[in-house]
Amino acid sequence: MARRGKWTALAAAAGALMLALTACSAGSGVNVNPSTVTSGGTGGGTLVAAIGGQPDQLDPAVTTSYNSFQVLENVYDTLVEPDQNLAMQPALAESWTTSDDQLTWTFKLRQGVKFHDGSDFTSADVVYSYDRIIDEKLSPSWRFSAVKSIKAPDDSTVVITVKSPSPNLLANLGGFKGLGIVKKSNVTSGDIKTKPIGTGPFSVEKFTAGDSIELEANPDYWGGAPKLDGVKFTFIPEPSTAMAALQSGEVQWTDSVPAQEVATLKNDNTITLGQVGSNDYWYLALNQAKSPWKDVRVRQAVAYAIDRDAITQATKYGNATVNQLAIPKTSQWYTEYAPFTFDEAKAKSLMAEAGVTSANMTFLATSDYPETVTVGQLLADALGKIGITVKIKTVDFATWLDEQGKGNFDLLMMGWLGNIDPDDFYYGQHHTDGSNNYQHYSNAEVDRLLDAGRTETDQAARKDLYAQAAKIIADECSYIYLYNPDVLQVWSTKLTGYEVRGDRAIRFRTASLAG
Amino acid sequence: MTLFLLKRLGHMAIVLIGVTLVVFALIQLVPGDPVRLAMGTRFDPDVYAALRAASGLDRPLVEQYFSYLGNALTGNLGVSFRSGDPVTLLLLARLPATLSLAIASLVVAGLISFPLGIHSALNRGKFSDVVVRVISQFGVSVPDFWMGIILILVFSTTLGWLPPSGYVAITENPWEWFRRVLLPAITVGTASGAIMTRYIRSSVLESLGSDHARTARSKGLPERIVMSRHILRNALVPVITVGGVQLAGLLGGVVVVEVVFAWPGLGRLVYDSVAARDYPVIQGAVLLIAVLFLFINLIVDIVYAKVDPRIALS
Repeated sequence: MARRGKWTALAAAAGALMLALTACSAGSGVNVNPSTVTSGGTGGGTLVAAIGGQPDQLDPAVTTSYNSFQVLENVYDTLVEPDQNLAMQPALAESWTTSDDQLTWTFKLRQGVKFHDGSDFTSADVVYSYDRIIDEKLSPSWRFSAVKSIKAPDDSTVVITVKSPSPNLLANLGGFKGLGIVKKSNVTSGDIKTKPIGTGPFSVEKFTAGDSIELEANPDYWGGAPKLDGVKFTFIPEPSTAMAALQSGEVQWTDSVPAQEVATLKNDNTITLGQVGSNDYWYLALNQAKSPWKDVRVRQAVAYAIDRDAITQATKYGNATVNQLAIPKTSQWYTEYAPFTFDEAKAKSLMAEAGVTSANMTFLATSDYPETVTVGQLLADALGKIGITVKIKTVDFATWLDEQGKGNFDLLMMGWLGNIDPDDFYYGQHHTDGSNNYQHYSNAEVDRLLDAGRTETDQAARKDLYAQAAKIIADECSYIYLYNPDVLQVWSTKLTGYEVRGDRAIRFRTASLAG
Repeated sequence: MTLFLLKRLGHMAIVLIGVTLVVFALIQLVPGDPVRLAMGTRFDPDVYAALRAASGLDRPLVEQYFSYLGNALTGNLGVSFRSGDPVTLLLLARLPATLSLAIASLVVAGLISFPLGIHSALNRGKFSDVVVRVISQFGVSVPDFWMGIILILVFSTTLGWLPPSGYVAITENPWEWFRRVLLPAITVGTASGAIMTRYIRSSVLESLGSDHARTARSKGLPERIVMSRHILRNALVPVITVGGVQLAGLLGGVVVVEVVFAWPGLGRLVYDSVAARDYPVIQGAVLLIAVLFLFINLIVDIVYAKVDPRIALS
């Protein structure tokens, strides 16, 4: 047999692979030259922003991934939206009034707003967007739990009636882009998953699986045309790669910032480091359905035995604020209260008082949130000193959620993110009937305060109710609050007009690339 | 040959059905509930029930399996829980990146291993042989994650020659594709090349000392002919096997490198899908990787018979 024959076989094999390769690549691929992205922006350039992962999909009412909301923040609008201090400001709704009995909310919509496809935005779109979430029981449906009906008496008015006074309605409607106003035809065609149509400052032009999403400026945006021509979100899972891409100029913005590098980055004048306290909180919860954790003194002993400063240093390299309640100083719901000190003797005496000399504890940690593993190690050491033997069980997040749901833990650590209204971060977690009360906390007084807080429309009185509830929750260690982490982002010095926000909303509408 | 192919394709079908069954069973055994995970930390029983019904997870397992198998036979691999996209589309979108990285890595591996392996065998015991063996040991031992980051630090951050991450389709811009595939391909190819170097070295050594090589020499054939026609060709057979195994491994098993270089390949899709318990995508991707694996094996066997006529396809 001629030698040529053998190599033909090899070539054929390689050829078959190459054929498969080219046949499948149609429609994929990215635009490598930012200047070819044409748009109606005002010449501010195209920003390349590196985010940690690919959005699972872009339907705001269906996705639960933060990566999706990083993109959608720039694509969709809500009726109202939070400003820097997380107070609700007009967005698609220009103004609103409430009836004397507080049960009817009337929203006047902004005139002349258009969707990205050029069609008019009307009250029917609001009714459709909200009814869809309620009827299909989509994940944000809990935000409408107090809502009785949503009506559109005319094109520019939306009337929401509620079952009981709902002081948190605005925060529910505007605090989360999942309640962005969608377009019915975009939903029914199924296109919304990859090519959503909103009314926001940017429109989605291209979604390249595994690689990037390209947005183009919306010149007709009601808040004024963005300065940038567009934004390309690129997915870089490894933080050190993202930092390398930023330093090489491939990307101009990223939130993949390793906390241990903050000190170095602060001294780097080729980039801007954005650092701001967040409303996220991280906490420990003891399973009160189990002995000995049902005894409040044992829980308090744990609270005294931990060194919050050391925990914050080990997990966030100091880029967080220690807090014994949920919410930080910057929030209007902040209450100053810190009942616990790091006091081993006090912890030991509480253990003795409870008659517990030794106990075994399973600490449920998840590798998806490495801080939980770090804290587990610190706790094993600290709690060992007061007679509690800690066994750390590290699982992936899917398993973690399962175990939490089944109550297979003694202690766990987790965070609640993007907290705006106290009903949102106290009721479900600490009310006896709360759907996220995995620690089985129950206190009639706390229940009464949380019920009252739901419907109290006087702001000062409401704040007082939650302050009272929060103090009891802390005293009785329903949660042992640890810290509020900082939001860390870095961007090129060429990027101007951008601000890092405590609610982690990434808004590029006013940003510009100089030079 | 035709009979051989038919038989092999029959075997492959059986293996693939086995793969679907094993993957389906394994997924069920792994703890973690995709619906609960999709909901995140906030649990709501009504939403939970609605999502379970929508994803078909409330049906009996046997029914779920047979409906999956039935659909798979017609080329329908279901719909991703997370994105709502057809799995087939998700896989096809990732395939070009995976195949192009695998082939580029194999080329790198070949460029490293053939010269080094042959040189090392011909200079057995000499200093350069020792050097090659140390280098190949190093290549096998270095973690690809570390290697990737070092390459980024040197060639992107410090020298600024190559982009640290990102993917461009070869059909869109071959030069950009080449610039971007280079670092990941070197990372992956070095490890594969190191393994192949050792195989080539020992295979050539064995061939060098064989009877047919001595016979060829004693016939007075020039060393060049002895080398190319009698030694290297015989040494090639086991090397093809190793190359095939390496290539197959590259198709689904370079997750770490894909993460470091943000390369949108199949491995990362599988990894993300397992983390998200996106059952349809895991099943589809494993099936696709199994198909590719089997085809590469088939091609290797055919190439075998071509290289070494003593091996019959039967």
